[in-house]
Amino acid sequence: MIIALGNDHIVTDVKMQISDFLKASGHQIIDVGTYDNTRTHYPIYGLKVADLVRDGRADLGVVLCGTGVGISTAADKNIGIRAALVGDVASAKYAKEKLNANVISFGGAVVGEHLAEDIVAAFIKTEYQATAENRKLVEKINQVEQDNTDQHDNPHFFDHEMNLWSEGYYHD
Amino acid sequence: MKIALAADKDGFTLKEHIKTFLRQKDYEILDLSEKPANDFIDSSVELAHIILDKKADRGVMFDEYGLGSAMASNKVHGMVTANVSEENTAHMTTQHNGAKAIAIGAGIVGERLAEQIVTAYLSVDYAGGRHQIRLDMLEKMY
Repeated sequence: MIIALGNDHIVTDVKMQISDFLKASGHQIIDVGTYDNTRTHYPIYGLKVADLVRDGRADLGVVLCGTGVGISTAADKNIGIRAALVGDVASAKYAKEKLNANVISFGGAVVGEHLAEDIVAAFIKTEYQATAENRKLVEKINQVEQDNTDQHDNPHFFDHEMNLWSEGYYHD
Repeated sequence: MKIALAADKDGFTLKEHIKTFLRQKDYEILDLSEKPANDFIDSSVELAHIILDKKADRGVMFDEYGLGSAMASNKVHGMVTANVSEENTAHMTTQHNGAKAIAIGAGIVGERLAEQIVTAYLSVDYAGGRHQIRLDMLEKMY
């Protein structure tokens, strides 16, 4: 399968571990970054993974930040994406089997490396069961979605916020 | 602080437990699921709108795994729901994500852990600062 990987600067090392793990399992990787530990912003990478998964350039996505909350929320705010934040294998299986989740997330600073590999492996391996009940749930989640075509494949979508950041508007 | 609670049938019993727990801690409770909702989509999306309409300060939503409630409610523009199964994410998501609600999977998280999770989630504040650019970015997405 083709798996898209995205992460923020807190967990780049965990992303590389998952990337190596998936390559060793025979999967092809599209790594959208970030690639180092310089401070950046998780919505950028959640959006990039969502773009790839939505139109089929990747089969599934894995998105990571410290807790997984921010980047999974960013990925989920895209039409056609069902992102699941999990901390265990049972939840990863459920997300795929019942809700046909296409992006998985865990806390890269929360979940240890062995469990992380089991979570990702289980998510990829589990097959969606397209029963009437499950299809109804997925369709109902889809109905909550909105769309903003401006955010599709648009490298300038966050330019305004990035300019404010450069100007020092956001500070601790 | 006013806390909204919502649950489907799988989350209902844990929701009732946490409702009693939070009342003992003097939180004001807005229970949207006196009876279980039809499914976690109904319960979580209703709770999202309650928070976004400022009818409650924060929310806790319950279903079997938690992730379904988070997945559905995050589809609502402006909503940030964290699916939480341990205490660290519970406080970090308030501080860094300003999480408007958390989701707890009653099939995954037991009563003692759920008590600690809601306590951790509610006992800290959003840090703002550098984190705000990320929330502004989330707000911009559809």
